[in-house]
Amino acid sequence: MRTSRTLGIIMIAPAATMIFLFYLMPAILTGIFAMTNMSTATGISGGVYQVTQSAANRLQDDMPELAAGIAEPRFVIDDEGLAALEALKLKPGYVAELRGQHVGAVFASRREAERVIKALKDRPSTREVKQISDLFNRSVLNTRFETRDALIGSLEKLGFTMTPEEQDKVARVTYTGWVWTTDNFRVIASSPDMAKIFFNTAFYVAVTLMLFNVSYALFLAVTTHYMPPATASVFRAVWLLPRITPVVIYVLMWKWLTWDNGFISMFLGQFGVPPKNYLLDNAYNAWFFVILINGFIGASMGMLVFSSAIKAIPQTHFHASEVDGASRWQQIRYIILPQLRWPILFVTCYQTLSLLASFNEILLSTRGGPGRATEVWSLAAYHTALNNYTGNLEYGLGAALALVLVVIGIVLSLIYLRIFRYDTLISKPLIED
Amino acid sequence: MTVLPILKSAALAAVLLTSTAVFASAKDFSISVWSGGSGPNDNYRVDAIEIAADILEREAAVRGEQLNIIVQKTPYSGWEDFKQALTLAAEAKKAPNIVATGHEDIGPWAQAGLIVPAEDYIDLDAWPISDIYPNLMEIASFNGTVYGIPQDAESRPFFFWKPYMKAIGYTDADLEALPAKVEKGEYTLKNVLEDAKKMQDKGLVQAGYGFYPRTNNGPDYWQFYTSFGGVMEEEGKLVFDKAAMKRTYQYFADLVAAGVTKKNHIGMPGDQWWKEVATGKAGIWHGGTWHYARLVNQEGLKDFFDNVQFTLIPAGEGGKANTLTHPLTYLLMAGHDQETTQIAADLVKIASEPRINALHAIKSAHLGISPSETKVDLYSSNRWASEATERLLPHANAMPNNADFGKYWTIMWKNMEAAWTGAKTADAAVNDAEAELKSTLGSAIVIR
Repeated sequence: MRTSRTLGIIMIAPAATMIFLFYLMPAILTGIFAMTNMSTATGISGGVYQVTQSAANRLQDDMPELAAGIAEPRFVIDDEGLAALEALKLKPGYVAELRGQHVGAVFASRREAERVIKALKDRPSTREVKQISDLFNRSVLNTRFETRDALIGSLEKLGFTMTPEEQDKVARVTYTGWVWTTDNFRVIASSPDMAKIFFNTAFYVAVTLMLFNVSYALFLAVTTHYMPPATASVFRAVWLLPRITPVVIYVLMWKWLTWDNGFISMFLGQFGVPPKNYLLDNAYNAWFFVILINGFIGASMGMLVFSSAIKAIPQTHFHASEVDGASRWQQIRYIILPQLRWPILFVTCYQTLSLLASFNEILLSTRGGPGRATEVWSLAAYHTALNNYTGNLEYGLGAALALVLVVIGIVLSLIYLRIFRYDTLISKPLIED
Repeated sequence: MTVLPILKSAALAAVLLTSTAVFASAKDFSISVWSGGSGPNDNYRVDAIEIAADILEREAAVRGEQLNIIVQKTPYSGWEDFKQALTLAAEAKKAPNIVATGHEDIGPWAQAGLIVPAEDYIDLDAWPISDIYPNLMEIASFNGTVYGIPQDAESRPFFFWKPYMKAIGYTDADLEALPAKVEKGEYTLKNVLEDAKKMQDKGLVQAGYGFYPRTNNGPDYWQFYTSFGGVMEEEGKLVFDKAAMKRTYQYFADLVAAGVTKKNHIGMPGDQWWKEVATGKAGIWHGGTWHYARLVNQEGLKDFFDNVQFTLIPAGEGGKANTLTHPLTYLLMAGHDQETTQIAADLVKIASEPRINALHAIKSAHLGISPSETKVDLYSSNRWASEATERLLPHANAMPNNADFGKYWTIMWKNMEAAWTGAKTADAAVNDAEAELKSTLGSAIVIR
């Protein structure tokens, strides 16, 4: 048969583009962002060179003269400025009056210079005042320079000569944008809070996975297997509800259950128990509910996968075992479980990764509280990079956190493949070839 | 000879037509204004810009120009989502023209070039800006440049539920004298803990309701640090006073240990908190001047002055009584053409006039921004505004405008939360905070 390679590429192109744009690009960008100190204060699109008081403070130790010199704001009404003002072609009265009455005047601050300009008889507008005062600015303080050369050029024009190393230093402390750095990883490695969040995440993933996503799912699949088909369908449908309910509503129902004036408090109130917020009462309570909320959603997927895998086991195996007098437990142990190795690998692997990355249920229920007790890694990345009260969004650090998660995910997948002996599962069938 | 008159009138008509065409060349501007932390009482943060637009249009009409301004208002009730939306919009070059936000955003946003200096567009020596309290203008500056125009002022008092205070032995006269005692440092945070305990022991309030603080992160918690002798910034450098911060963390751990504050208090539903303090479920709590508006307007506490006494934040060991003012400022966002930004600046200037600003101050129970505002009838006849201004504002500090303050705050708060909930001891929390501040801020913070 004639085959076409081009056709294959064309067929895969739309999917490949999607994968590139929505999976690979974010991962690559996360990697790039992680190597920077990007934050709200540095912006994303790059910075400028600005000599501020704090930059001058940082230069104090190495270059005291320069630091003192550049921190001085000075406005001088001189011929150079007047010539520039003439070239601007604003009202001629401005130049005449400044030349006649103020030439040679020196002002320590922009505000003082502008008071004089504002008082000109022709009354310049606020914009014009700024335009004019800029022409007489004889210092670099608080001016934003788009390029390094413009900054160094201006400093040289003001009479500051610097060696190339000094220029580098000045450029470094005055730059407002982001720079390449590996500090994010140092911060993550050395912060005790990150260690706490790491253990939180490990605990959350391991417990939810083992108790619900695998064990409870398996329990549901096996028990419904032994039920009459109609009853089994009802049970499976019930366990699908958490997954098909919109997550905001699903979590809201848990909140109604657990709040101070929620169902549990109201019910126990009948017996004289004072109401309390069961969701956020303490770290144990919060974990209990966070794991239940996630586990009930996660169990349904394992249940579906395992049920269909059990369905795929030839009925003859069960019939034969019953003839041999096998008990239910023996059927599960020697027929069902061995044949579920591949689905269990798949569910464990898939759910580990999805639990590692998922934080929406936690965000909606506890927001990581109480006291950041239920803050998991992905939620910490979200809070750091995109959403916190002070509005100090640290994109670089957040991306570094996310990158750590990606690496952990890959490592875990490799380990799982080893443990479950993936190679034997996909050995070539003997019929073909 | 009939041609000439026709030509004449035709020429006249043409002149008239072109002249009216000049007059009619209407200028259209669309100005968007966003505000953060704006509940139902704070609508004048954005509405004031709309009122200003109406006035500016009329002023233009008087000059014979036609100016059409469409104001698009976007108030956000919270802070997290607002700051996220605004920062990302600005990075995507879709920033609004005007934003009303906390002054502490000026530092990082100015450095990132997200905002332009207000002084480039507004004459600071002209009324009404020249009339604004100088310390508020100072709070709206960064690196010696005025970036924002103060939108409101406030301060953050302690509140005492009078009936319970009386039940544990205070007389009416004692309660009258309480603000003065707090100011002099005779009634301290230690007394707060003791009185809260007494209220609970007498069964007046439930366990955990004796002292009922703010339920989430906020500038309020810096007041306790100040009460215990801490300083936030000195000569442009952030300061972390270990001993003062430890006393602060320890105080909240002690409150929990004594059972007068709930361990899991942080993160409880905000609506529940409001309802409880308005109905006397809590003994002592703290908040802001604007709480008056919500308690009276939304929560139904009509007889506020009969039930509630308010004071400065009492002193702790090593510090003095204080309060914090956290003014919001109008900022002009970058990324728009100069003409539009000039219109936005003109609107901010008009919105800062006493009568318009007083609408916000009184409706939301914030404080005025200028001395002349206190003379507007609406303001001067309001008991809350005048008493709060007098009792609190002279003692108000503000958080520093420093590009690194947000990082400091985040670290300070998460360790505070850890000490409060018992996840860490106060000692461990302070040490962790110190370690993280050293590694993230380095020489930008003085640790002592």
